Amino acid sequence: MDNPEQNQTSKKGPDSTLFHLAIPTLLFSCLVWWLFYQPLPWSFQIAWVPSLNIGFSVFVDGLSAQFLLMISGIGCLVFLYGTGYLAGHKKANHVFLLLLLFMLAMIGAVVSDNLIVLFVFWELTSVLSFLLVGFNHEEENNRKSAQQAMLITGSGGLCLLLGCILLGQIAGTYSIQLLIARAPLFINDPRLFWALGFVFIGAFTKSAQFPFHFWLPNAMAAPTPVSAYLHSATMVKLGIYLLARLDPAFSDLFFWEVSLITVGIFTAVIAAIQTIYERDLKRILAWSTIATLGTLVMLVGMPGEGAALATAALFFAHALYKAPLFFVAGNLDHGAGTRQIDCLTGMRRYMPWTATAAFFAAISMAGLPLTFGFVAKDIINLAKSQANLLQLVSYAAFFVNVVSVAVAAIAAIHIFWGQDTIPRKAQPHEANLRMLFPPLVLAATGLLFGLRPALIDPLLGLAAQSMAPGLDPNKVDLSYDAIPVIEATFGTLALGLFTYLRWDWLHNKFNRLQAIQKRGPESWYNAVLETLPLVAVRSTRVFQNGMLPRYLLTLIATVAALLATLLAASGLNWQWPEMESLPFPVLGASMVIAAGALATFRVSDHLILLLVGGMVGYGSALLFLFTGAPDLALTQFVVETIFVVVVAAVLVKLRSFRNETAKVPPEKRFRPLHFLVAASFGSVFVILCLLVSALPFDPALTDFYGARSLLDANGRNVVNIILVDFRALDTLGEISVLGFGLLAAYPLLKQIREKRR
Amino acid sequence: MSWAVILALGTVITAGIYLALSRDLFRCLIGLALLGNGINLMLFTSGRLNSLSPPIIPAGDTVLGATANPLAQALVLTAIVISFAMLCFSLILAIRIVQENRSDDTIALREAEPHSNDPLKPIIEDEP
Repeated sequence: MDNPEQNQTSKKGPDSTLFHLAIPTLLFSCLVWWLFYQPLPWSFQIAWVPSLNIGFSVFVDGLSAQFLLMISGIGCLVFLYGTGYLAGHKKANHVFLLLLLFMLAMIGAVVSDNLIVLFVFWELTSVLSFLLVGFNHEEENNRKSAQQAMLITGSGGLCLLLGCILLGQIAGTYSIQLLIARAPLFINDPRLFWALGFVFIGAFTKSAQFPFHFWLPNAMAAPTPVSAYLHSATMVKLGIYLLARLDPAFSDLFFWEVSLITVGIFTAVIAAIQTIYERDLKRILAWSTIATLGTLVMLVGMPGEGAALATAALFFAHALYKAPLFFVAGNLDHGAGTRQIDCLTGMRRYMPWTATAAFFAAISMAGLPLTFGFVAKDIINLAKSQANLLQLVSYAAFFVNVVSVAVAAIAAIHIFWGQDTIPRKAQPHEANLRMLFPPLVLAATGLLFGLRPALIDPLLGLAAQSMAPGLDPNKVDLSYDAIPVIEATFGTLALGLFTYLRWDWLHNKFNRLQAIQKRGPESWYNAVLETLPLVAVRSTRVFQNGMLPRYLLTLIATVAALLATLLAASGLNWQWPEMESLPFPVLGASMVIAAGALATFRVSDHLILLLVGGMVGYGSALLFLFTGAPDLALTQFVVETIFVVVVAAVLVKLRSFRNETAKVPPEKRFRPLHFLVAASFGSVFVILCLLVSALPFDPALTDFYGARSLLDANGRNVVNIILVDFRALDTLGEISVLGFGLLAAYPLLKQIREKRR
Repeated sequence: MSWAVILALGTVITAGIYLALSRDLFRCLIGLALLGNGINLMLFTSGRLNSLSPPIIPAGDTVLGATANPLAQALVLTAIVISFAMLCFSLILAIRIVQENRSDDTIALREAEPHSNDPLKPIIEDEP
């Protein structure tokens, strides 16, 4: 709940908040001016990441222009309304800044022709929506709602990115216009199912379609101007905008049509039912917004040019009647201090101008003749009759319309007419001019376009053409004279008024459905949110168990498994080296090495273990000696001898500490699991080495050193020459490692000596 | 003739890992030494064991004939020295650890680790 504690501004001359209006107004006027003088479409391009084929290419056609008008036009009014609504609020500037950023992000999203750029702006709007919903972040509920909006639209956004990348790979381009042009080439690609599936998830989360719809009513925690702007007029329509954009490419797909119509109508019906379930005016409006969004998704899914025109008309009509109704809800919140419809009757006496705005917006929402809502409804009915839908869908759409008439009646009649019988602490008062002007202007615009639809014909025609390229925008005529449609409208009206009169009764009936709602998608969301930290805790406990040997075990087992998988997947032809006979010394040295290694499994005494380990070292030295590497043999002998002697001396010291703290039971003599892991790593390693040694050897480098060492470096011992001449820098590095080891060991040695004293 | 050496180094690697997985710090150390040895042998055999004569250019010649691979030997020589340095450091570190903790059991060495009977963290706040 937003809390308008700030009240009216003190009358100290003009206040600076009107400056916030500058940019939106400028944008709106430029746009209108351009629309008159510059024929659509407009396009230009700025390279951004040319290597990835991502450019900021701007393409503005009818659909984009329509959205631009709504974004900037309603944006102006929202900013004006905000200066009244948030007057004196200490963080008002914060809201205006976020709103401005949001506006720019929306503009970026609807003018971009590149799917990836569109995605970036799309995610920006999600982030800004998060910040705006969580504006009053001192309240826990607001934080939760903001988090919910962010998580749902954000994860939907990630799915959208996946879908866009898939689409881009299938089509070979990220440009929407090129994609539409190339669509017939890849329309039968089986990957398209997944690509569109992910795009759908993105669009449905953004546009609050079932089962992701529940975030939108919760997002009503935002201040009212924000709700009117983001969560009714613009942002939530972005998902439908994207679907409408892609519509010309995929409208022939059966999958496209069926998914959109099913999800759309199902969402609309669920939302209509939920509307009756609410008592808070803003939440009622939120649910009815979801119902409209569902209808829009259905219209996008419907084939035909009539449906395209209907989509464009409903975009406009909804913005023109729902935004003023949100403003009205804000005024009531401000003036009467509540949005609960039970506490609001007879407000007409205190708030006549708000009542007027509510009335004109509501008749448009109900679709009464002479309003733009009526025009939109008329076109929708026409489109439905052309598209030969299932009878069930028509009934469902009829039901949704009935509920929207009832909602309009609640907003216009229930709240403002009748007797004010409810006791109040303070007398409700009318809102100030800045909060009255926007709803009145929007409602009046709705009336104007209802009286003279020809004014808006060209724009809607162009917008519809973006969705259905076959449509000729010059032939669009929104004038209505279809008598049967009017009759059907009156059917809706009558039933809607009936629903309005029995609202409380229905509300009580639907209260019983609460049990179903408790198991709905929102509870799944909550369950996931509660489970995630538990999973994190458990997995941390399993992996970070504090046992050093177990860490090592996990590590080695993983590496062994990875190596084995890579080997199996590498497609090598598994050629083993030949098992030729061995010279006796090599065989003997190998046997000494192996014997030393095997003996370590059996030995428990430390000193003997050290000697047995030394056997491996001496074995290697012998091997080096017999296979033409006397330098290695010498080094190995020296190193191994020093190591064994030094460690044997140290052992005496170590033994004195042996298990002074016996907190844990002693180790078993044989550890089968450890042996298994060690053996599997060893065998993978052996297989790898055998395969490598069977591969042909590339002697280029060896030959180079062999040929040049006498000529260039004047030495006959090639190993020596490589170390101290050709690769002298490496040897320097090696010596440095020795030095650093000593440096690191020195303080430890010092500590050891000090302790002993 | 590398197969025998490869099999031998396989046992060395297996033994090294098995020892390194032990709870006894000293066994881990010896395991480390064996692992280093195994890796050195691997490097050595990857240069192929084709000849038993050392890579020295005989007096009178200017070019190396058919001898053992000098490149692999140079690599292994470096590796031996480095693994020796690392081992010596590990040895001193181990002594210091044992001195400080009065135990050479790697399971008891968990100064920086949570105990398995710790209460779960992070603690999840109860919903009101």
